[in-house]
Amino acid sequence: MPRHRALQPDHLWGYLFITPQLIGFVLFVAMPLMNLVLFSLQDYSLLGNSRTFVGLSNYIEAFGNDPLFAKTFRNTLVFTAGLVPVNIILALLLAVMLDQRFRGNLVFRTVFFVPVVTSAVAWSLVWRSILQGQNGALNQLLAIVNIVGPNWLRDETWAMISVIIVRVFQNVGMNMILFLTALANIPVEYREASSIDGATRGQTFFRITVPLLAPTMLMVLMITVIGSLRVFDHILLLTAGGPNHSTMVLVYYVYYTAFRSFQPGYASVGALVLFVTSLVLTLLQWSARKRIASVEV
Amino acid sequence: MRKLFVLIVLFAVAVAGIHAGGNQETNDQGDPGSIDLRFTLWSANAAHLEMLNGFADAYREENPNVTVTFETLPFSEYTSLLTLQLAGSNPPDGGWLLEGTGPTFVQSGVLADVRPYLESLPDYDYADFSPDAMSLWVEGDRTFAIPFSTSPFVIFYNRDLFREAGARTPQELIASGDYTWTTFGESLRTVTSETGVYGFQGQNGQPYSSRIWHTLVPFLRAYGVDAWDDNGPNFDTPEAIAAASLYHQLIFDDETIVPPGERSDFFAGSAASTINQISRVPTVMEAGFDWDIAPLPGGPAGPAHVIGQAAMGVFNASRNREAAIDFLAFMTNQANVETMAQFFPPARQSVLEAGALAQQNPNISPESIVYVEEGIQFGTVLPAHPRFPQLDLSAQGAFDQLWQPDADVPQVMRSINETLSSFF
Amino acid sequence: MQAQSVLSQRSLALRIFIFVILLVLSVPFVFPFLWMLLGSVKSINELLDVRQFFPTTIRWSNFREAIEYQPFLRHYANSIYIAVTVTTGTIFVASLSGYAFARLRFAGRSTLFILLLSGLMMPVEVAIIPNFFFMRDLGLTNTHWPLLLIPVFGARGVMATFIMRTYFVSMPGELEEAARLDGLGPFGIFWRIMLPLSGPALGSVAILTFLHTWNNFLEPLVYINDVRLFTIPLSLNNFTDGFNIPAWHLQLAATTMAVVPMISVYVVAQRHITNAMAMSGLKG
Repeated sequence: MPRHRALQPDHLWGYLFITPQLIGFVLFVAMPLMNLVLFSLQDYSLLGNSRTFVGLSNYIEAFGNDPLFAKTFRNTLVFTAGLVPVNIILALLLAVMLDQRFRGNLVFRTVFFVPVVTSAVAWSLVWRSILQGQNGALNQLLAIVNIVGPNWLRDETWAMISVIIVRVFQNVGMNMILFLTALANIPVEYREASSIDGATRGQTFFRITVPLLAPTMLMVLMITVIGSLRVFDHILLLTAGGPNHSTMVLVYYVYYTAFRSFQPGYASVGALVLFVTSLVLTLLQWSARKRIASVEV
Repeated sequence: MRKLFVLIVLFAVAVAGIHAGGNQETNDQGDPGSIDLRFTLWSANAAHLEMLNGFADAYREENPNVTVTFETLPFSEYTSLLTLQLAGSNPPDGGWLLEGTGPTFVQSGVLADVRPYLESLPDYDYADFSPDAMSLWVEGDRTFAIPFSTSPFVIFYNRDLFREAGARTPQELIASGDYTWTTFGESLRTVTSETGVYGFQGQNGQPYSSRIWHTLVPFLRAYGVDAWDDNGPNFDTPEAIAAASLYHQLIFDDETIVPPGERSDFFAGSAASTINQISRVPTVMEAGFDWDIAPLPGGPAGPAHVIGQAAMGVFNASRNREAAIDFLAFMTNQANVETMAQFFPPARQSVLEAGALAQQNPNISPESIVYVEEGIQFGTVLPAHPRFPQLDLSAQGAFDQLWQPDADVPQVMRSINETLSSFF
Repeated sequence: MQAQSVLSQRSLALRIFIFVILLVLSVPFVFPFLWMLLGSVKSINELLDVRQFFPTTIRWSNFREAIEYQPFLRHYANSIYIAVTVTTGTIFVASLSGYAFARLRFAGRSTLFILLLSGLMMPVEVAIIPNFFFMRDLGLTNTHWPLLLIPVFGARGVMATFIMRTYFVSMPGELEEAARLDGLGPFGIFWRIMLPLSGPALGSVAILTFLHTWNNFLEPLVYINDVRLFTIPLSLNNFTDGFNIPAWHLQLAATTMAVVPMISVYVVAQRHITNAMAMSGLKG
């Protein structure tokens, strides 16, 4: 009899339990998405508080006419394409090294992970101070070895590189931990078996470790890609999108256009582009993970 | 685990409770007759706030039910934060407005027309405000804000550093009859080469971001053009290109102006001169070096004068608009404008003519205060625009091309001109 | 034997090599903290003087001045109370619905769950514009409410629900059956049996939510403009306005005050925090 009772559906309780979450979902996820689409069809003046329906003209302007919009999209891709490989390679390198046993291992793990729990604001503010022009700490250090460093945050090429590197230093610990967890889960026998076969360390790494890391790798890749599409704090605090909009990326553009330039209608187009991009990537991630998970079992 | 959970909940509730209590304290509206007025401003200077809070206290003596608070918003974000507040649910009652955004605010309809009330006050003497000073804030027979500061930009310089370097001071250059950005630039170079300190810093160290115009327009006007006029931007004119070339040369070739991306502070002694207004006298008084002010250097077009203006307006969104306008009237009455003259040169002609500027500024020598008076007399306000926030942001991006060591100045100026011409 | 010692020698050399590489790589991770700590006790002149790497005199007064420059302690209190409230709220909402999706059987369960999961695809940045206007229409901008409501009930909370559900799914069913026999209702089972057993998942959700809320910058930046309501990230960014003396030294002092307690907590609870982060990555 108890078995029977346990199988009885708990409709009422089920709905009761999920109600708070569902209401929140409707108010803060579903409704905003609809409103976002509506806003993107309007010319909305923040100061005068007036809206007019303008049809698709925001889209036409953004995709056809606005060089800044195009530049922003390009910058976002450049930022992502620059950050992801640097972040993942460094994370993997650190993880493989820290997977060895030696004294001080834990100290190093702490050192590389601490920026992850530090706020992006604090991290960026300190780096901004370090990365000034000739009087910055970094260029002063370089001057000791007779290198004239660039004006890191004020040069159109270097600004993007600097922001990428500062963000990598902040977040690489996260991916490092994910790789370390995955490495720790690889049975020791696999690697031992391989080394008995006479394989060098390098061969063991590429033949045994890398394939076993593949699922983690894919996940890390997706998290890092989506994370870099959403970059905001580092951009605002290090370069504010400059110089000459060379570090203007999507989220900052949305913020800048809606809340600094007071065109929330037009900015909504940017927000929707961000939404579609991360939607596609998330779906890719989910389908890829399903495939890998089935292989794993 | 459950105990811990309950404990956390209790803690959260307790902290939230304490906080809510704290909020109630500040937003206490228990007495139905009491009125809280909130004015936004961009100064956090202790001396300014002391004076303003003094006005608020004096007003409260006469109107015991009215409490006025001044809320500082950072300058670089001021217009956007104010706009967000006005678009939000708890708008301020009034606030300072910057000259560039004058048309933006006046045309948006968020400001209350204060003229009928001010003209109805027998002692206020609205006509005392000079029409020139009012021009940004008046539309037809309506007045949307009262300028409380019509303050010419001047050069602040560190006399100790000039003396140490043996550089010619602005006063010496004026005496020799040749005080231009070129000759002043030579002095700056001397300071840098002799002392290793930057010769000049753009206004508040923000000339490459939120304060482009305050340093650029003085250069432009010395060469005879303004940044823009009703017909469009003037950056592609030979005058503007010549002015920008000199500015660029002083930054990147002579390395005497603090370059972009570099931190420096005139008031901490790490730059020998800067451009600012007399509202910064309290700051330089604390700096601990010998200082003086001088007029802006001239150029091929003769002497240049630039005025920065700040006005105070009342917002239509205010729940206590009448009270806010009454406080505005109080703050800008004859006596209080006189008091404000210690930081903010007045737009009231009677106060200016009575010599209040000199009386209220004992820390500036009588010879030097003349420069301020001349600035008010001959100067015009910085350029303004109905879409100033957007134009300003756009310009900050465009001008980044000029702030590069290897910039091709004429070409860059033409490109900037093209970018900004879409606003006209 | 011979081979063994060659091997261990090689392995020793390798370890030293790794150690040196790690030492070099750790410079950009350690230097910012060193720079921050040194700068926090310098005078503004020393901070601007490139030749002064170390402060000549240690100015502890920077910390006091930073607190006086703006209501920094109040910002600290704001951040703590917001982070604690959001964390508690998230735990409550997410464990309730996570439990329902894992263990209760009701019509439309999987459809609703998939619907909810779609919230993960909508980053807060996407919703910031409509949420701002929604909050404004409710009269809640420039209050703490958006910072409390949106993370708990919005897309961030979905992540927590997902973690909780995964954990509840993995728990054995016998416990519930025994509890039902004892006459406990679904809420009783959840509250008295399952929740107390879900410590690890709750811990992860709590750590992640707290960290995220504590460091959140975009939302406070958009919703808050009254300086008394600032949270710490806003506060740190508010030390360099040009009209005041740019207080870079005070900014570093304030940053130190904001960062050092967090790092101390991390060092103490290191294992839990890294586990929680790893879990979020693996699940999310």
